[in-house]
Formats: sequence, C-alpha cells, structure tokens
Amino acid sequence: MKRRIVQGLAATAATALLLGGCGSGGEAAADETLDPDAPVTLTVSVWNLEGTPEFGALFDAYEAAHPNVTIEPVDILADDYPTKVTTMLAGGDSTDVITMKNVIDYARYATNGQLADVSDLAEETSDLAGLDAFDQDGSYFALPYRQDFWVLFYNKAIFDAVGEEYPTDLTWDEYAELAERITEEAAAAGVTPAEGQTTYGTYQHTWRSTVQAIADAQTDGDQLSGDYEFFAPYYERALELQDAGATLDFSTASTQKISYRTMFTTGQAAMLPMGSWFIAGLLQAEAAGETDVDWGIAPMPQAEDADEVTTFGSPTAFAVNKNAENSAAARDFVAWAASEEGAKAITAIGVVPSLQSDAITEAYFALEGMPTDETSRAAFEPDEVALEMPVAPTTSQVDQILNEEHQNIMTGSVPLEDALATMADRVQNEVG
Amino acid sequence: MTTALGPRTGTTAPLPAGTPAATRDRARPVRPWAKPLTYVLLVALSALLLVPFFWMVSASLKTNDQVFTVPIRWIPEELHWDNFVTIWDRVPLMTYLRNSAFLAGVITLLQVLTGSFAAYGFSKIRFPGRDGLFLAYIATIAVPWQAYMIPQYILMQRAGLVNTFTALILLQAFSAFGVFLMRQYYMSVPDELVEAARIDGLSEYGIYRRIMLPLSVPALASLALLTFVNTWNDFMGPFIYLTSNDLWTIQLGLRQFVGQFDAEYAMIMTGSVISVIPILLVFLLGQRYFIQGIATSGLKG
Amino acid sequence: MASTTLDRPAAAPRRGGPAGRRPAYVNRRQVRRNTLLGWSFILPNFVGFALLTLVPVIATFGIAFTRWNAYAAPEFTGLDNLTRLVGDENFRVALVNTLYYTVGHVPLTMAASLGLALALNRKIRGLAFFRTAAFFPYITSIVAVAVVWNMLYNPSQGPINQLLTTFGVSDPPGWTSDPTWAMPAVILTGVWKDMGYYMILFLAGLQTIPPELYEAAKTDGANALQRFRHVTVPCLRPTTFFVLIMLTIGSFKVFDLIVVMTNGGPGRSTLVLSQLIYREGIVNGRFGYSSAVALALFLLVLVITLLQYARNQRLET
Repeated sequence: MKRRIVQGLAATAATALLLGGCGSGGEAAADETLDPDAPVTLTVSVWNLEGTPEFGALFDAYEAAHPNVTIEPVDILADDYPTKVTTMLAGGDSTDVITMKNVIDYARYATNGQLADVSDLAEETSDLAGLDAFDQDGSYFALPYRQDFWVLFYNKAIFDAVGEEYPTDLTWDEYAELAERITEEAAAAGVTPAEGQTTYGTYQHTWRSTVQAIADAQTDGDQLSGDYEFFAPYYERALELQDAGATLDFSTASTQKISYRTMFTTGQAAMLPMGSWFIAGLLQAEAAGETDVDWGIAPMPQAEDADEVTTFGSPTAFAVNKNAENSAAARDFVAWAASEEGAKAITAIGVVPSLQSDAITEAYFALEGMPTDETSRAAFEPDEVALEMPVAPTTSQVDQILNEEHQNIMTGSVPLEDALATMADRVQNEVG
Repeated sequence: MTTALGPRTGTTAPLPAGTPAATRDRARPVRPWAKPLTYVLLVALSALLLVPFFWMVSASLKTNDQVFTVPIRWIPEELHWDNFVTIWDRVPLMTYLRNSAFLAGVITLLQVLTGSFAAYGFSKIRFPGRDGLFLAYIATIAVPWQAYMIPQYILMQRAGLVNTFTALILLQAFSAFGVFLMRQYYMSVPDELVEAARIDGLSEYGIYRRIMLPLSVPALASLALLTFVNTWNDFMGPFIYLTSNDLWTIQLGLRQFVGQFDAEYAMIMTGSVISVIPILLVFLLGQRYFIQGIATSGLKG
Repeated sequence: MASTTLDRPAAAPRRGGPAGRRPAYVNRRQVRRNTLLGWSFILPNFVGFALLTLVPVIATFGIAFTRWNAYAAPEFTGLDNLTRLVGDENFRVALVNTLYYTVGHVPLTMAASLGLALALNRKIRGLAFFRTAAFFPYITSIVAVAVVWNMLYNPSQGPINQLLTTFGVSDPPGWTSDPTWAMPAVILTGVWKDMGYYMILFLAGLQTIPPELYEAAKTDGANALQRFRHVTVPCLRPTTFFVLIMLTIGSFKVFDLIVVMTNGGPGRSTLVLSQLIYREGIVNGRFGYSSAVALALFLLVLVITLLQYARNQRLET
C-alpha cells in the first residue's frame, strides 16, 4: 500500500513538472523604462572570464561610462557553455544579458522565445558586420559586437630561412604548391623547430570548417543543401597536402589533440589558415613573453577565377534574456557594446569588432606587435565574409553529419566520392 | 567436503584468535621462482598503469606550447617548476580545494550512512514490495544523467537551491550505488548470524549498529573511497549547479584554463597533479582496511 | 563482541531472513511490523533518492511521449518518438556500437579486475604501492589518458604498431583513426581505466570470505584452482553480481571516455547511445526524442538487469 502511495506521489510530481510550463516565465516587463541614475546590478553570462579579456574590457568601459551600473559577470566554462546556458534558461534563470557564443545556439534560443526582441536597436545601427546572421524572419534578438573571419597566418622566419617570398594573394593551387615546396626546402636546409620535429609548409586544423566552410564561401554551394559536390576540389587539395606530408596528418592531429597555436608559435608550420581571434591570442602571448614568433597575415587563398577576396567568419553577440531582471539596462548594454564606444574598448586588446570604420581599423593596426605591411591590412578588409554555417532549424543536425563524414574523408577511411555521396544521402534522409 | 562449501556455510567454527598468521598464508609460493616472477610482472604492470600519469606530471612541468607535440617529449627540455607556484596566483586554488573537500566529505559521509542503513533494510528484513523497490533503485542507475538533467534542474530551481552546495549534496548523497553495494555485502553475511542476534534480544537497529557495521568495514571503506573519488572528480554536477566562483570545485577551477579557441594545458595538468594528492591520501588511508580484513577474519567481528 | 552470538549452532530457527523460505506462521502483524521496520531503514536514503532522482527520471519518461524544447509546455505526441527510433539510422548505429562496447568491455574488465584483486589480496612487499598503481588509471586526468593512449595507438609511430610490425604483422591496424579498429581501441582503454575501480570492490568482497574455508579446503587436499572454484567463486557471488550489474550499466552509459578518446568518430564508428541522448537533447534541442532514446536504453538495461538478477537469485538459493 505504501508503495502505491509513493508511486502516486512520484507520478503527481512528475505530471506537475511536465505540465507546469517549465519555467517559461516571460513576466519581465519589456517596456520598463531606464532611469539613468538608479543603481543597477546587471548580470551578464560570459565564458572563461579570466581567459577572455574582451569581457573585462567591455565591462570596465561600460561601467566607466555608466557610474550607476555594476556589472556582475556570470562566469561559465567555455567548454560546455551551451549546455549550461540551455539548462539555465530552461529553469527560468533571470540573468540579464546572455552572450551568444555561436549563431546556431542563438537561432535555437530565439525560435524558442527565450530572448527579448531588439529589432528596434538593430535598426539604429549601421555597418554592423555579421548582423544578417541574427535576422529571424525580419526580427533581431541579439546584436553582434565582434566579428571574426579567417585569414592566412604565416611565419616570416621560416619563409626567410627557405628563401620564399611572403604570401600576398595566393590561389589555392599556389598555396598547396608553396606548402609542399617549403616542407621540402625546410627539410633540405635543416630548418627544424626542435630535434626530431618537422617543419611543415602549412597546418590545416582538424575542424571541418577548414575545408567545408571556405568551400561554401568561395563557391555557390550551400552546406545545408544536401548536395556536396562543391566540396570535392577543396577536399582533394587537403588530402593531397596531407599525402605529400606538407601538413601534419589529420589522424595524428585529432587524436593527439594538437593545438594549432602550438603548431604555429613553435615554428612547426610556416602557414596557418585560421580565424582572426588568433591575432589577439598572438599579441597577448607576445606581450607575456611566451612567444617571439615573427608573423604576418595574408588574405585566405582564393579560387582561380576569383576577382575579390572571399572568406568566412562568425559573429559573437549579446542578447537580452526574456526573463531578465533589468531588461531596460540590459538593452542599453547590448546597444552600447555594438556601438563605436564598445568597438573601441575591444579593439584596444586586439579583438575584431563588428562595427567597422576607418577609425577602428587605424586603431587596430596601431596596436603594439601588430604587423603593419600592406598585405596584412588587405587581409584585414576582405571583400566578403560569408557566414561559417548557414542558420536553419536543421543546422545542428547537418553539422553533425558533415563533421562525421569529414572525419571519414580525412582519415582516409572512406574514398572522397563515396563519402560525399553518403553525406548528401544522410542529409537528405536523416535530417528533419 | 568441498561440495559443502558455499556462501551460507560461514558458521564454521572460527579459529582461535591467536592462530599464527603463517598457517593462513594461502599465497605462500611453492616454487622458488614464483615470487620473483610475480614481482617482475607486478612492476611491469605498474609501469604500464602509471605511464599516462607520468605524462601528466611531465606536462605539468612544461610551457603550454610544449604539452602536445609529435612525437611526445617525455622529459621536458627545461623543467617549469614555477607552474606549481604560478597556479596559486592564477586561480583561487585553495578555495576550490576546500570546496571540493567539503563536498566530497559531506557527500561521502551521508552516502555511507544512509546507504548502509537502507541496505540493511533491503537485505535483512523481508517485507512485501522490497525487491520491486530495490529493482527501481538499480534501474534508475541505468538512465544516463544527460537525459534527466533538465527536469532535475527545473526541480532544483523551483526549490531555490541552484547555486548552493545543498543542491549537489542532495543530488549525490542518496545515489543508488551505495545502497546496492552495501546490500550485496550484507547478503554475504549469513542470516544465521542475524537470527542469533535477534534471539539474543538485539533490536534490528542494534543488529545493524553492533554487528553489521563492524563486519562491513572493508565494504564501507571501499564505498567511502569510491564515493569520495567520484565526487572529487565530478565535473558536470558542479558545473551545472554552481555558478558563483567562490563555490567552485577543483574540477571546475581546472577547466578555467580552457578558452574558447585554445587551452592552457600545462596549467590544467599542474592543477590535475595537485588535485590527485588528496585522493591519494584518502586511498592510502582507506586501503589499510582491506589488509586488516585479511588479518582478522571477516566473521569474527 | 559479535563472536558470542556467532558460536551458536547453525541450526538456529529461521524466521524472516531473505534466504529462508517464508514460514507459514508469519501472520499479518508480523508483515506489518517488518514493513515498518524495513521502511524505517530505507526511508532516510529513499526520501532523497525519490525526490531528486526518481521523480526527474519518471518525468523524463513522460517527456519521451511529447515534443519538448525545454521551454514551452510539452506537446503530447503519443508514440511518435518511439516509432521514429525504429527508423533512425543514428539510433541503430549508436545501439550497435553500445552493445559492441558492452560485450567487449564487461567480460574483459571483470576478468582483469578480479585477477588484480586476487593478485593483490595477499601479503607481499610493496602491496600498498601496487594497489595504488592499479587504482591510478581511474584517477589520472582523462585528458592525459586520451593523449597517451592515442599516442600508443598512433598508426605509424605508436609503440603498439611498432611492436606488431616487429612480430611480422605487415599491415597493423589504424586503431583510433580507423573505423574498424576504433571501438576495440576504446574498449581496451576502458578496461585499463576501469579495472582498478572494480578491483577495489572485489578486494572488499574477498574480505568476506572466512580464511577457515580455505584452510578446510586445503586440509581436504584441494589445489589452488579447486579452492578458487569451490571457495572463492561461490563466496564472492554477491560482489560478482554487483560488479557485473554496475559494469553492464556503466558500459551501456559510457560517455566521457568516448568523448575524449574519439568523440564518436571516425565517422560514427564509436557513436554511443548516451552521446546520442546528449546531442539530441542539449545540442539539437529535441528533448522529447532525446528522452525516448533514454527510455529505450533504460528498457534495454532493465531487461538485462532482470535476467542477471533472476540468474543470481537462482544461484543464491
């Protein structure tokens, strides 16, 4: 009998939990007016506060401009940031500002109605790179404050040692040839980072974007389309580089958790296609005396017939929680971070802001340790930055499939043509 | 005779307490080469078991850029002992260690107490519905935490317990694992022993306290040890429930060195080496009970 | 102190012990008394367990019959999620991989941990060191485990393949970077990591065996193997059962090890069910479907546990 009571209790509790609407609060007043003098404590979810100086820079600058506001960061570990934010929001958490680490998660929170509409703020802005990614059927639920895009990093010392010219506007074929040539020349000339190690012509990191996102950006293919023939030339080149030994092989790099940063700063790779966030990382490491690598940036290699520079990237944004305790103050912060003042604050530490203007670019290249040559400047202003991965309800599923088949191709487990066919087949049949 | 030996025949008259240990040494080698060979094998095996730990120590003495290299460099070019100093400045390590110790201690204590208490009910008292309830206990172990994490969090949020130690203690102190482990151990204690105590007029609580607890020291020690280690090393629980930095545990603290695009692995390994030390202490303390168990037969209490 | 009661003859009357058959004279009052007593022991643990584990688990099973994004109210969809499971290729792959892992991991870990416990349940010099060494894989940072094992497995430079080559294997496997060999590699690492953990449980179990039994068997002229079969195995049965169940469940739920070793790859070759649950729920935001996968996993484990339970009950009586 007791057992039945217990079972009954458990069932009741479970039903209550299920039918309770599960924290979909939405009571917060969206029309709350902002009193510029009333003291406010604004909570902002961030990842790895200590290791991500942009947050500190933004918060300090904002607090200086708004003496009545105290910002209280909610520090979440970078690795599992989406897991925690998803859980918090499901529980009806009232953190004011939620940082959107990537566009895919943004789309999910926005369609689930977890974020407050900030379309009016979006209308007031101009020249905000990456804003389009946050367009949800004409409404905006977040404003980007930083925009990263991919460039080609190169190690000047290695180029000098083997007597090659610094890269300027490479095509993909030139890039591949150059990488193979440098590998051979470095081996012949005895250029090694350390005993027993090899200097590779380039390092192609293991992420699928290294091949797939750039193919999407530079061709008319679409990663969500379910037709992946446009990947073929990009994969052929990546496999050829790997077979020629001009880059560390994918299997070793992925199983040994190789860090692209280590590959580059210790002189194991002469070139490195990577996101612009790495600039801030390099500047910081140099300032801390951790590395003295002499580096420059060039635009990403382009297709043969390209007449402008196309690369890919992804924005980072702030959004207002629908359950925010201080929604008016939160909106003000989000708008400010995307403004000229916010952009200045993060430019000062080498982070690329969303807001683009000549003044910002000037400030950026005036930074200590920044290469100032023409090519580096050109690389900093690509003609087009495509979104790394298009946003749709199916994005995360497609992402998983593309990633799995990417591993199959790069480890040589499945022949390229078969894997591309499987990719298409799986995206058409499994997603939905 | 051997056929008569079974788990329920444990009431064989015990040897007098003064029996010399030598006559019980069933592992006495017969062949002269057996002992050295055992040692050679054990040492080789230990080396194999300790290799990753050696890598961990080696990585803790490198700079971040030297941690992952191909081929692996086992002995760092220069030893960065300063990592072990720097880490105390970089993060509030003492706070994290204290929080971990507090959580692991309280959870272990509650787990051992309530687990062994409940196990007595599950093994030595017969009542309707008992076995079904017990199966429910075991069955929930089979559900991965990832599946019910969100409902559980919603429950905690409504109870206002998010971002408190209470949440974690409540979550982990009553796990089915401890009940199951202790129940199995009690099952191997002959019922006759309990019966005899009942006839002697001991209450069930008295039997639990005066007979079962002393008898189950090795099992209690292993439960305490495993619970302590699991709580100490748990990452996801504290990650989901603890937000304020001053409540963070050592495992959360170590992940602080993982950035969005890169990680400071030298610091992570330095911290990992430090975080192993308390576990080692607990292990060395706890494993004494397994040896004692050999010296004094489990049944003589 | 207990020894006074112990010296009583084994023929003490049985009353309500679990092993004894239930005597006919047990009346209703006795049942009620026992029920109250039993619950009084179980309750302190049960309250915490029921509220914080049982209720969320039951809620999860409820969610398995809905479409739920963790925010809006769930929408009841009947058996849709479960029927979708049947046709889901990801689920099929993950299920097969999980079974593969379990079938490999359980017996090997069982044998290794029991072997270790037997080897280290004797008085030898340096015992504390060897036991600690055996437990080390379990407490070594999982990142270190992944890196070192992947290095050992490295197809071209790894020592394992170098050894195989010297023994004349011309085409050694690619281990974690080869879809065919990734799972065996992960299983091997899993055994290596877990055996110290289960060794602890076996060591505790071995303490319950009265040395007198071994003495008696020895006097009867039983050799080491016979003593193992007729004393150790039956006396260790409750522990073996526990280890078997925990190992089986642990294998079905394997998550962390796979994530750091291969993260399900290459391709889907090591994708397991708990990873699928995580992906569908937290990553894709389909908590209804994610819960349905969890429900399927639960039912599967429940059936296997019940079979093992029934077998154990039979062996014990």
